[in-house]
Amino acid sequence: MVSQGGRSLRQLRVGDSAYVSAIDNHRTGAKRLADLGFVDGASITMVRCGKPCIVRIDDRLVGLGLGHQEVILLSAASGL
Amino acid sequence: MSTHVAQQPASRHKLVALAGNPNTGKTTLFNALTGYRCRVGNYPGVTVDTRSGQIRSEYGLTPLTLLDLPGTYSLAAHSADEAIVLDALLGELADVDVPDVIVIVIDATNPRANLFLVSQILELNRPTVIALNMVDLAQRSRVHVDAERLSLRLGCPVIPIVATKQKGLALLCQAIDEAVESPSVSMGLDWPYPVMSAVESMHDGLAPVANGKDRSAFNAELLQTLLGDGGYHEQRWGMRCGEDFRSLLREQRKAVVDNGYSLASIEGDVRYAWIDRLIAETVKRDEGRPTGTAKADQILTHRVLGLAILAILMGACFQSIYAWSTPIMDAVDSAIAAGGEMVSAWLPVGPLQSLIVDGAIAGVGAVLVFLPQIVILFLFLAVMEDCGYMSRAAFLLDRWMGLIGLGGKSFIPLLSSFACAVPGILATRTIGDRRARIVTMLIAPLMSCSARLPVYMLFIGAFVPDSQLLGGVIGLQALVLLAMYMVGTVVAILVAMLAKRTILKGDPQPFLMEMPPYRWPKVRTVFHRAYEQAREFCVSAGTIIFAVTVVVWALGYYPHAESIAIAHEAQRQEIVSAHGAAVSQIEQANDIAEDGNTVALDELDLQMNTQLYRIDQDEAGEYLRQSVLGRMGRWIEPVVAPLGWDWRMGTAVLAAFPAREVMIATMGTIYNLGENVDEQSVGLREKLRSSRHPNGQPIYNLPVALSIMVFFALCCQCGGTLAAIKRETRSWRWPIFTFVYMTTLAYLGAWVTFVVASRLFV
Ligand SMILES: Nc1nc2c(ncn2[C@@H]2O[C@H](COP(=O)(O)OP(=O)(O)O)[C@@H](O)[C@H]2O)c(=O)[nH]1
Repeated sequence: MVSQGGRSLRQLRVGDSAYVSAIDNHRTGAKRLADLGFVDGASITMVRCGKPCIVRIDDRLVGLGLGHQEVILLSAASGL
Repeated sequence: MSTHVAQQPASRHKLVALAGNPNTGKTTLFNALTGYRCRVGNYPGVTVDTRSGQIRSEYGLTPLTLLDLPGTYSLAAHSADEAIVLDALLGELADVDVPDVIVIVIDATNPRANLFLVSQILELNRPTVIALNMVDLAQRSRVHVDAERLSLRLGCPVIPIVATKQKGLALLCQAIDEAVESPSVSMGLDWPYPVMSAVESMHDGLAPVANGKDRSAFNAELLQTLLGDGGYHEQRWGMRCGEDFRSLLREQRKAVVDNGYSLASIEGDVRYAWIDRLIAETVKRDEGRPTGTAKADQILTHRVLGLAILAILMGACFQSIYAWSTPIMDAVDSAIAAGGEMVSAWLPVGPLQSLIVDGAIAGVGAVLVFLPQIVILFLFLAVMEDCGYMSRAAFLLDRWMGLIGLGGKSFIPLLSSFACAVPGILATRTIGDRRARIVTMLIAPLMSCSARLPVYMLFIGAFVPDSQLLGGVIGLQALVLLAMYMVGTVVAILVAMLAKRTILKGDPQPFLMEMPPYRWPKVRTVFHRAYEQAREFCVSAGTIIFAVTVVVWALGYYPHAESIAIAHEAQRQEIVSAHGAAVSQIEQANDIAEDGNTVALDELDLQMNTQLYRIDQDEAGEYLRQSVLGRMGRWIEPVVAPLGWDWRMGTAVLAAFPAREVMIATMGTIYNLGENVDEQSVGLREKLRSSRHPNGQPIYNLPVALSIMVFFALCCQCGGTLAAIKRETRSWRWPIFTFVYMTTLAYLGAWVTFVVASRLFV
């Protein structure tokens, strides 16, 4: 895994999967996202891009607005 | 404040609380267990309030009361509906005891996501039972949860059920029964030392004010307080203990952060690590599961296609409201008219007859006529909700709602407000952002609710020419109706933008909403939902609207001076005796042929009846002018004159302030038609068209009609709405503000409309 610093959800395209590396603690809504399962190591798949986007985490589809998309940091490797 | 009564007599019903994530089938289970029907929906946050019912005796050995809680993903309270859950589980809700057993409903198709809340609730160390719901769907999607092993690992019963088919409920109830007696469960999570120690310190600091709270429960609350930056619990403790608490909290948070832990993610990290170990042992899943939802979403959440489909759906909804409800409305209408006539025939003329026929039947009847529309609208909304489409609509519109400073979550409350603002205002509970929630409540009453429709129908039918535009594609009348809906919507957009820039400034919270899997709507669920609404509507018609109608009737009936009756009776006598004289004159003139004779007599009869009818009308009018209501009307005439209205209109509008549905009934009474006047009644329409000022000018014309309709579109004539805003915001400030701003806008809007339309059309 080549680390190039965190990627953001906005760089994923439909069908791409990735692992969550961290969430940005300083942003509002961070705890909410962590409670929903966006924690280190969680695997997510982009279902629909845009503002808001839809991602699949576990078996749940979650719509995320732009502000939340920026809170979720992804690990650099993609293409699970 | 805690109102929990510590010890209950042994015979007390045990209280069972039902918790779980949204869309796990909680409502379905509640209904199945209690036999009591309430709202069910495949939309997050439908259960916005707690409700309770008795578990059916066939299931329980001991009597149990079931308490349904709003669906939530976490005990951390981010929004109003989530705050209720932890409070209820801890027994801190007013009038609700500490539950004896907590039942957590989890979705067997997605155990990982559901176990987060489970781990939070288990830490309360209360007797707990887990209902593993939707095992039918889990089987189909090849997710296998080993309930027995899960139960062993969690230390509480895990009962597989299918709530929709009522499978496994007996076992579930047996487990609940046994859990009441069983000792609390306990579980261990690997909380890092700094977090544990911070909670301990807060425990010590707050113990003096905790008045005997259970230790585990109190610690769970403190954990949420510690980690929930700016959350509901922090605010509540802050209000109770002030600066002492705040500095303690700051200190402890700093200790956690200084040790390298993130307040936001530590809970997620700890619990999901535990959950992943649990899942590895207890859940097996095969890949290659069906993906119907994914396929549907490719179209339905598409930026362009999805929006087009949404627009078509909404169009179809409104079209069906008009097209389908008319015949039913007519039927309801004739039934009410028949009822009125029957009662008239039974009762002697006098105040009692007038009260029942003109007041109760005409007033409440005029309202019941809208029942079909409301049922159709709610059927539509229920289908959209139950199949899981509603969150997609919110998703699609989030960006557009963002333009006016609101989020996609505001869309559903606003959409419901087209039926009625009261459920719309209740639905705002799912909006986490307080400011956005208040703005949504403020503009919800501007959405053209179904009670405005009859007013539009009446005035459009009477004063807007029935001509076709664009080669018959659309009628002018329909266009004006559409314009009335647009007036409210456009003004709502402007008000929202203004409010978000001034009194309720703040960045909108980003969109965050689960998109539940699509499911076929359940016929039973949908019809029950509509039935509930219909019942609620009838109850309100039977109480508030009935009361208002009676008051309006009394104001319009009394003092009912004797002198008016005497004067008119004298006129009637005169006419009858003149008629008698004329008839005998003709009969004496024997030379006229038989045929001509009868024709002349018929003509005389007709003449007399017309005269008598006119006197009746005069008399009723005179009574009304002399009545308290009439005097009030005179008094407000100068106020409404700039809008082009006469005193009668002013009075009807005034009477309609508590509930706008009253307007048509009042107009009916005022125009001496008495019973059963609604927008379909050609009588009232004709009457409005033909009524004249003393100088012969028509009172109503197109500009006046438009001015009245714009007034109704913008005015907040609904006590129910204001009461709902009061209840939801817990302050008088917002209902008063709503009333004042809407009434002002309505007056100005009506005035501008009248002035401009008078220039254009007269
Ligand atoms: N197939 C299946 N569907 C279910 C089951 N339980 C609930 N549902 C459906 O799931 C949807 C959400 O249920 P609801 O009771 O509204 O969930 P709540 O949001 O937790 O109250 C509804 O469409 C139900 O009909 C079940 O056991 N099996």
